[in-house]
This record gives sequence, C-alpha cells and structure tokens, in this order.
Amino acid sequence: MNATAIENPDTHSGISNAKLGVWLFLASEVMLFATLFTTYIVLRLSATSWPWGWDALNVPLATLNTVILISSSVTIVMAYARAYDRDVRGFRLWMALTLALSFGFLIVKAFEYGHEFSMGIGPSTSVFYAVYFTMTGLHGIHIIGGIIVNSALLYMSFVKEDWENPLFLGRVEGAGLYWHFVDIVWIFLFPALYLL
Amino acid sequence: MSSEHGHDAHELSFLRKYVFSVDHKTIGLQYLITSFVFLLVGFGLMMLMRWQLAFPGRAIPLIGPMFSPDLAPNGVMSGEFYNALGAMHGTIMIFLGVVPLGVAAFGNYIVPLQIGAPDMAFPRLNMMSYWLYLPAGTLMLLSFFLPGGAAQSGWTSYPPLSVINPGQTVWLLAMVLLITSSLLGAINFLVTTINMRAPGLSLMRLPVFVWSEMVASVILLLAFPPLEAAAVLQLMDRVAHTSFYMPKDLVILGQRYTGSGGGQPLLWQHLFWFLAHPEVYVLVLPAMGIVSEIIANNTRKPLHGYKTIVYSMLGVGVMSFLVWAHHMFISGMTPALSNFFLVTTMIISVPSVAILTCLIFSLQGGSIRYNVPMLFALAFLPLFGIGGLTGLPLGLTVTDIYLHDTYYVIGHFHFVVVTGSIIALFAGVYHWFPKWFGRKMNDRLGVIHFWGSVVSMVGIFTPMLVMGLAGASRRLYDPTAQAHNLIVQPLNVVSTYFAAALGVFQLPFIWNFFHSMFRGEKTPENPWQATTLEWACPSPPPHGNFAKTPRVYRGPYEYSTPGRATDFWPQTDPS
Amino acid sequence: MEKHNDEHRPNVKLYIAVFAALLFFTGLTVAVSRLHLPRPQAIALGLTIAGIKAGLVAAVFMHLWGEKKLIPKILIGAAFFAVTLIVIDVLDGVWLTPQDTGRMAVADQHPDEGTAPTAKPTAAAPAAPAAPAAPEAK
Repeated sequence: MNATAIENPDTHSGISNAKLGVWLFLASEVMLFATLFTTYIVLRLSATSWPWGWDALNVPLATLNTVILISSSVTIVMAYARAYDRDVRGFRLWMALTLALSFGFLIVKAFEYGHEFSMGIGPSTSVFYAVYFTMTGLHGIHIIGGIIVNSALLYMSFVKEDWENPLFLGRVEGAGLYWHFVDIVWIFLFPALYLL
Repeated sequence: MSSEHGHDAHELSFLRKYVFSVDHKTIGLQYLITSFVFLLVGFGLMMLMRWQLAFPGRAIPLIGPMFSPDLAPNGVMSGEFYNALGAMHGTIMIFLGVVPLGVAAFGNYIVPLQIGAPDMAFPRLNMMSYWLYLPAGTLMLLSFFLPGGAAQSGWTSYPPLSVINPGQTVWLLAMVLLITSSLLGAINFLVTTINMRAPGLSLMRLPVFVWSEMVASVILLLAFPPLEAAAVLQLMDRVAHTSFYMPKDLVILGQRYTGSGGGQPLLWQHLFWFLAHPEVYVLVLPAMGIVSEIIANNTRKPLHGYKTIVYSMLGVGVMSFLVWAHHMFISGMTPALSNFFLVTTMIISVPSVAILTCLIFSLQGGSIRYNVPMLFALAFLPLFGIGGLTGLPLGLTVTDIYLHDTYYVIGHFHFVVVTGSIIALFAGVYHWFPKWFGRKMNDRLGVIHFWGSVVSMVGIFTPMLVMGLAGASRRLYDPTAQAHNLIVQPLNVVSTYFAAALGVFQLPFIWNFFHSMFRGEKTPENPWQATTLEWACPSPPPHGNFAKTPRVYRGPYEYSTPGRATDFWPQTDPS
Repeated sequence: MEKHNDEHRPNVKLYIAVFAALLFFTGLTVAVSRLHLPRPQAIALGLTIAGIKAGLVAAVFMHLWGEKKLIPKILIGAAFFAVTLIVIDVLDGVWLTPQDTGRMAVADQHPDEGTAPTAKPTAAAPAAPAAPAAPEAK
C-alpha cells in the first residue's frame, strides 16, 4: 500500500463512550425481556386456562402506575432539557420530581403485591401469577436501579465540579435512556399482564 | 476518547495497583491467573471422575480417604459425588476457565494495545467485571462445602431434575453474577473497539484477534441475557416454588409434585442453548484470532484471505444464534424444527471451514519459524479440524439419534475446546509473554510442554470417540453397569492414563511461567519482529500504554513486502 | 476531550405533545379492554397500541429519531435475535402434532378444555382434540 493513498478513516463513531455503552446495555436488556416475553407466550399458549387481568389483578392501580411511569419519563426528559440549558435549579426540580414519581410507582406496586399476598395469592399459585410476579418483580428491580442512578445524578448536581464536568449532560442523557427503556418495558407489560 | 484515565503518574497504593486496579493490563493478568487456577481446579475434578470411570468401585488412591463419607464412603466415589463433579467440571471449565481466559484475559491485555488505546473505555466497569467474576467463581467452588453440596444436574442444569436436585440454587446465583460480569465486559470491549481505535486504524486494518474479540463480545452481549432470565426463572422455581419449568402431574420418587404445574421443561433447554451454543463460538473465536496472529507473524507473510477470515467470523457470529436446537434433536422438540436446525448447522460449518482453510493456506510458501507459540498454533489447525469434523454427524438428525448422549459427543467437543481453544490459548501465552513481562519463556520447557500436552490430549479424547461409536452413554457413573460397554472399557483406562500424563506435562508450564516472570531471558521491545500495534510500546507497557497516540498507516500483516530492507513493516511505520 | 458534542437539543413542546399522546393511548387501551373483544383481536389491538406508545417514547424521549445510524443498527440486530428466539420457541409448541409424540398430551393437556370455541391463537394450531397448542380458553 503506498503512502500517498492512505485515507484518514474515522476511528470514532461520533457517539460518546457513555451513550454507546448505555445503548449496548439496552440491547442486552432487549434480549433479557424478550426472553421473559417468550416464556410468557409459550406458557400461555400451552396453558389450559389463562385468567383475564380484570378478574385476577387490580387494573385501576396498574393504570395509575402506567400514568405515573409515563409522567416520570416526561419529567426526566425535562430534567435533561434543563441540564442542557445549564439551569441547575430546574434540573434539580425535575429530577426530584422524577424520583418522587418512581417512589410513587414502587409504593403503588407494593400495595398491589400486598393485596395479592393478603388474599393468599403468590408466585406459586399458578403459572399466570408466576409470570406476573416474576416479570413485574424484575421490572421493579430495574426501577430500583434507575432510582439509584437518578439519585446519584441529583446528588452530583449539588457538587460544583460534577455539575460543571462536560460529561455531566451525557450522564443525564444515559440515565434518561435507561429510564425510558424501563418505561417501554412497562408499556408492554401493562397490556400483556393486565388487559389482554 | 475520555480524558478520565490520562497519565496519572503518581504512585498508587499496592491495593489500587494490584488488587482493585483499573488498568486493563493488571486486570488482564488477574483474569489470566484466576482463569488458569480455575482450569486447574476443573482438571482436578475431571481426574477424580476419570479414576471412577477407569476403575469403578475402587477407592480413589491417596486422597480417597480424605473425602467425607457422604461423598466417598471408604474412599469409593458415590454416584451423587460423581454427578456433582461432572456438573462442576463443565461449569468451571467453560464459564470460569476458558471463556474468561480467551475473552477477558487476552482481550483485556491485548485489545487496547492492538488498537492503540490508552485503556479500556470504562476502566472502573472493567474492574467491576473482574470483581464480579471472582466472587462468582469462589461461590461456585464453595458450593461443594455448603449443605446440599454442589450442583448435580450437569452444566446444562436441565429441569425438572435441576429444580428437584439439591445444590442448584448456589449454582444459579453464581451464574447470575458471572453473566452480569460477562455482560459488562462485552459492553466495554465493544465500546473500546468502536470508539477508541488509533487514528488511521480503520476496521479493515484491525488485527484478526481484535475482530474475534468483537464478535465474541457481540455474542456474549446478546446471548447471555436469555440465560440470565432463564436462570432467574429457575431460581424462582426453586425458591418461590413457581412452575415455569415444571409440568403438571409430575411424580417424583412416587410423590406427586406439589407445585401448580403448567410449566414447560423444554423451554429451559431452548433458553439455555440459545446462550450455550453461541458460547461455543465464544470459546473458539478468540482462539482462532490468536492463531491467526501467530501464524502471520511466524510465516513472515500476510494472512491468506484476511477479509475472508473477517467476514467468516462475522458470519459465524450471526449464524451461531440460529443453530442452538441441534442440541435438542431427541428432546421431544417439534421434528419440523429439527430440519431447520439441521440446515443452519450445516451452513455454520461453512465459515468455520473457510477460516481454517485460510489459515492453512497462510502456511503455503512461508519460511516458517518453529518457535513454541508457532508449534501450538500449528497443532491447532489439524486438531481443531478433527473437533469440527466430528461435529458434523451430531448436526445431522439421523446420525445424532444414535450418537446423542454417548461418549462420542464428549470426544467431539473436547477436541474443539481442549485441542482447539486451550492449545491456542497456550500459544497466546507463549506469544505475548514477552509483552507482559519483558521476558521470554524457556523454549526447551515449552517444547516439552507442547509435545506432552498434545499427545496426551489426543490420547484422552480419541478413545472417547471410539467408545461413543460403540454406544457407551456419557451419563454413566459406572460404565461397567452396561454389558455392551465392557468391550470398550479398556479404552477408559487408556484415557485416564493420558489424562494423568496431561496433568504431569502441565508442571513444566507452570514452573516455566512463574520462573520466567522473574528470571526469564530479557527480550527487546519487539522480540517477534511483529507488525501490530501492541509491539509498538514498551514491554510491559506503562500506565497509559503509548507515550504518544500511535498513527496507523497500513493493514496488520505487512510481512516480507518486496523492496524493503526488513521483512516486516509495522503498522505505525510512516515510511 | 469529547470530540463531538453528541447530546441532542431538547424540544420541550414535542415532549409535552408526546406526553399527551401517551396518556391518550393509555386511556384507549384500558377502554378497549373493557369492550370484551374476542381475544385474538384484543391482543392484536393491545399490542399495536403498546407498539405505538413504545415507538413514541423511543423516537422522541430517547432521541432515536435523528440519532447516529449505528444505534438503530445495534437495536435492529438485537431485535432480530429476539424475534428469532420468540418465534422458534413458540413454534416448538404450536407445530407439534399429535402424531409427533404423546408428550404434550401426557404433560398438561386436558382434551375437553382444548376445544373451547372462544379463541384459537393461530391458524397453525390443529383442531384435533389433543391440540398441543392449547388455546387460552377461559
């Protein structure tokens, strides 16, 4: 190969490491939840009966939770918009709101679980409840993970050098991506378990 | 490229430098040592099994009386102990030995160097990967000493057996930790290779080893999550008594299963093999990458068909996701699907053969340097070929009906993994040892290790192929229990003697490794006169690797270019 | 030294519009489920609505619309393998005919329940009494 013919190929994708890492992680999460949905479909197809969500679960509470989670997706993207404009007070407000909504989601979920347990219903009751508890449980763990990340970002906004770090906005965006993904999972879980 | 890990020249404490290090080189060596220890442990477990197989009912010599009476009454191995050894041997060798060695150890050390990067993209995540892997492995080993003992349901952990058997819960927990560790590692490798290549290093100038690590990482990234989910479901079956994998009306030892039922045992097999077949390619791809590097370097000519190798690796990566159920031909799966998987299995052998063919053609017309790494790389070619070809009858439904679950299967995949992957990984150790420590391993001991290992390995696994063709089941704790096995029983003894020999021949390697670390012959910066970037920095490289970011001007294997004074043309050489 | 500032410029009005749309679709999917449509139609409609909602979140909130091409490629790759996993695992149950094996019939089939007329999940499911792909009869 002769030296003058050397092109200068772009060896950087133009996507920051953090964002690319989060998206790759989300790709693996797609596979994780795809597996759970596979389990759901296979078990449902082979089941002799499959209860209707309105009879077996608490749909109004789940609808409330859907609204809560959708709202939290908006508040976190608003927090991102505030961080983009370097408005630290606005960022803290929207991030705190996001966290409040996430805790709200978990509290509602706890009510739901508590009610079911008090009626003697648990994961071992039937395949339907096994799927329900496992999928919502894993989703709940993802919510808790998101709360940890978002709290860390809220805390960092109070530390001057973190807030002024040029990587901060990328971190907020990455946390947002994760949070929206958790929202999307719920968007599918909600009809699959409660409505159909 | 992030500026977080720049050139912090200040001295780090011992703990930060060698234990909780974020430097990809230290982490690579941590992985290297740990996975070799696990390989040794897995080997030890196998030796116990081999004793039982060769001499069933006889007390294990020397250490037999040291086992508790539950495991080995009077020093004679019990069936439960044999099952636990089998399950743990497979799990340890694959998940704690070969994969961490090939992907994490070599990948961590070599990939950032070969792409001219100062470190991995996420150094702290990298540290976390190791510190999830080590506890997972330790937990796996500790399960032998916990109440209930170690897992006894094979490395495949098929339900309903695995839901009923004791010891499986710890196995599942350790697997979840291990999978998380692998996922973090895979993300790290991909981001590093996509974003942090040195200027001028386009994708088609990457060394084959980097390509192999990239494909392996994609496989880990997308195939491991299904097993993680499946493991969580099995954990739920065991702990919360759900019935994901438990059918209705199951009767266990005369007792009706008390769970709700309604589950699908076959679902686990699907989810397990969706990972575990691609996992085979995770075992093999880095090995192929290492062999390619060594062959190009020691034949002193460019690889034959660089692009063919790269595209074949990508093809193997994609196809590896579409062949999983050839492990399930006789499991009761829909026969129509068997045909689909038969076809995909035949298709995936094409790129694998293409890679091997390119490597063999690379030898043609080269003036080969027969150094120790090259000996191992040369042995890889025919032996991996045997491993691959013996797999074809297993991929064809008709022959698989006979061969399934016989020793033939064991012979086949050990030829692939042991005489394929592990041989290549040894080659890599000898090849990159000067990079790691600035010293060379002893050649004479290396040659002894080479011949001893190769002959022993072939001696262990060839009898297995024969026994399998004779119909010996791989699941038997006492092979003499079935009369038709008695004819081939002497082969079990042969196999066991060779296994012992293999152990003995690792001693020169172990001694050579640690002795050469401190006393080995000092080597110059580029002892093999190689072209790739990892040899363009000091050995061992300092923190941050390259004094200044290297610039790349050409492909990775420009050897013996006509009209040049030297027979190698480094990628960084601007002339 | 971030060479590219690759964060997306926020568009607050669009976010609010998407929020409204998401609330609307949530209400719609709950309302539709009260209609007691036959199950196949209900499932198709519910998944369509969920797909639209997920698409909105991904395109707008996750800025997938206007993102560099590499990321959609990664996601399409993952989606391809995910669909493979789902389709093949589901087919394994659905394609099994009674002639193939008696496995399913022994495991958890109750032939009398298997023929309930309310719903057939797919056309591929045979109508034989020992249909392995049990329709989710209620």
